[in-house]
Amino acid sequence: MILRRSQTTLRGYLDTALAWLDNTTLLGRSLRWYLTSWPLGLVFLLLALLLPVLVDLPTLTAAVSICIYAMLALGLNIVVGYAGLLDLGYVAFFVIGSYTVAVGTGGILQNAQDHAFNIPTYPFWLLLPLAALLAGIFGVLLGAPTLRLRGDYLAIVTLGFGEIVPIIFQNLPFFFGQFGMSALPPADINNIPLLGSITFSDPLNVTPFYYLALAALVIVVLAVYALRDSSLGRAWIAIREDETAAAASGVNLVRTKLLAFGLGATVGGIGGALNAAFVTTIAPSDFNFGISITILIMIVLGGIGSIPGVILGAAILRFFDVYLVSTVSAALQSNSTTSNLLAGHDINQAKLLIYGIVLLVMILLRPQGLIPNRRRSRELKGIGASVEGASAVGLLEREEAGLDVPVEDTLDETAYAGSGSDAQGGE
Amino acid sequence: MDTSPAQPATMEAPSPARAARPVILDVTNVTKSFGGLRAVDSVTFDLRQGEIFSIIGPNGAGKTTVFNLITGIYKPDVGQIVFEGRSINGLTPDRVLRRGIARTFQNIRLFNNMTVLENALVGQQIRFPSDLASVMLHLPNYRRAERQAKARALELLSFFGPSLVARQDEYASSLSYADRRRVEIVRALGSAPKLLLLDEPTAGMNDAETAEAITYIQRLRREFNLTVLLIEHKLQVTMGISDHIVVLDYGKKLAEGVPAEIQQNPLVIEAYLGRKAEV
Repeated sequence: MILRRSQTTLRGYLDTALAWLDNTTLLGRSLRWYLTSWPLGLVFLLLALLLPVLVDLPTLTAAVSICIYAMLALGLNIVVGYAGLLDLGYVAFFVIGSYTVAVGTGGILQNAQDHAFNIPTYPFWLLLPLAALLAGIFGVLLGAPTLRLRGDYLAIVTLGFGEIVPIIFQNLPFFFGQFGMSALPPADINNIPLLGSITFSDPLNVTPFYYLALAALVIVVLAVYALRDSSLGRAWIAIREDETAAAASGVNLVRTKLLAFGLGATVGGIGGALNAAFVTTIAPSDFNFGISITILIMIVLGGIGSIPGVILGAAILRFFDVYLVSTVSAALQSNSTTSNLLAGHDINQAKLLIYGIVLLVMILLRPQGLIPNRRRSRELKGIGASVEGASAVGLLEREEAGLDVPVEDTLDETAYAGSGSDAQGGE
Repeated sequence: MDTSPAQPATMEAPSPARAARPVILDVTNVTKSFGGLRAVDSVTFDLRQGEIFSIIGPNGAGKTTVFNLITGIYKPDVGQIVFEGRSINGLTPDRVLRRGIARTFQNIRLFNNMTVLENALVGQQIRFPSDLASVMLHLPNYRRAERQAKARALELLSFFGPSLVARQDEYASSLSYADRRRVEIVRALGSAPKLLLLDEPTAGMNDAETAEAITYIQRLRREFNLTVLLIEHKLQVTMGISDHIVVLDYGKKLAEGVPAEIQQNPLVIEAYLGRKAEV
């Protein structure tokens, strides 16, 4: 244990604390490891499992929503955080997943009681994988034409896609337009050994649905970890860092990017399916650009590319959204004397403003997010910046050091890669 | 604009020793234009198995463009590129790599925010199972591939001595310039190529580092059974280790031959030394 008494700054105390955590061992591991690695995740999982006995109904309802949005954020994080493709239309896959469940559980029948035709209904457990599959297919369909686009251009196209999909559902008569559709929760399961029966349809007992959403989230988390630590995860990061070098190292750009879009969308579809089954009524107006942006803000707030960060970001924003806003609004409306300024105002209307401020503050003060991803924070700090930049710096440093630096051909590749600028003109 | 000499590039008959070796890469009549600029203009040459072949030429001569054409970053407008008897025209870079051609870049293009080991592993991408189930569920075939890839990566890093192995968990951007070049070569070797393209492997290196680079390029050929295609500016490097040299100027082939021939070729001397006086 290193104690450096001379250090009086906060930084010094922090370093000391970290050193203590590093140097104090428990069962052969440092304390810091326990606080930053999977044991901490396990603690949170245990807390999550105990949540239904710890909190009241509104909080648990918020927790279901947090699980669903954490899933969505993790799915978008594959596309944005790993592959580095800015997707502003992620809501489209949420919509597709939601409507798959609504249509499949007979939402059409319910809305069209005066229609006599007999539309078959399917169990939720069949529709959930179907929603994932359909969303995944649409993810690939969106990805395919945008493979050559990057940055702003990709963002615009995906934004358009995210706008188009809800509008399609709004305008096709089959989906009952702006009235939306009903979806049924998963059918109740009776006579399970030891457990008795599980009732998903009781709005006053969301515990079974909470465990369903939590289980789905845990599976998604494990899948995302597995992907991140795989050759595919490395390929995504390689593409994000330098597409040309990745391709020259054997990364199939088309396949790898489409897998990012497809897998991200699949998770979005699962989230949508759970969402539809949980809220039981969906309408196109529920799915707007604001959702795509909110999910993106969750990622930025928590830390792009960081799985625990993204979950934390989703938890904070969603808790704020469904729980705090309604509680605070109710308090404001019932007791208008507490504040003249806020009395009678609906915080819901200021929600996006607050999100915007959150985003601004994060970008300015802590762009790497609350729980940063190590690699991403390096990028944001400009360590080992872009390829061209990095090697230019390298050459300059060496030039200053008086080393032999050939300047010939440095423009060869980059100049040609542009619009065929006159690389030979000076000769 | 077009000040290149009017004389057609002379095609010397290959020496008996060279003719005996099988052709591994055959570039025929390849042309690539960008806008009005012919970056590579009807260039023809062939590489023989196991040789160190250099492309030299002044700035803007189209050397790197030739590399980009071979590795599939650009598609030739005209002409054929044949590797081991099969056309590689228009293949994507990863497919070219699968055929057995790996490369490095002139301005080192490592994945700077990945570790040395991760960089070496990305180079072995084509050795991993490609089906999603294996990758996502880390099935036994995937785990075996990962284990083998790590072992192979460390083996390749140790080609340059123990220092890179010791730095396997450092980020690529924190390495010295010469080490970054080495890691880029390790990444390229990960795919077990038959032909290695090195774009100015000694750029920015001092004399000692250059001398070391010359040694390891020769070792690469020997230990990995490689054919090496080299772009190099330092004449002492090319003249010292090349079996065969092709000279490009303004996208055209100016001359071709063994180092001794190139050194005495008046066109080459003019392109390198007399050029400035003409401007």
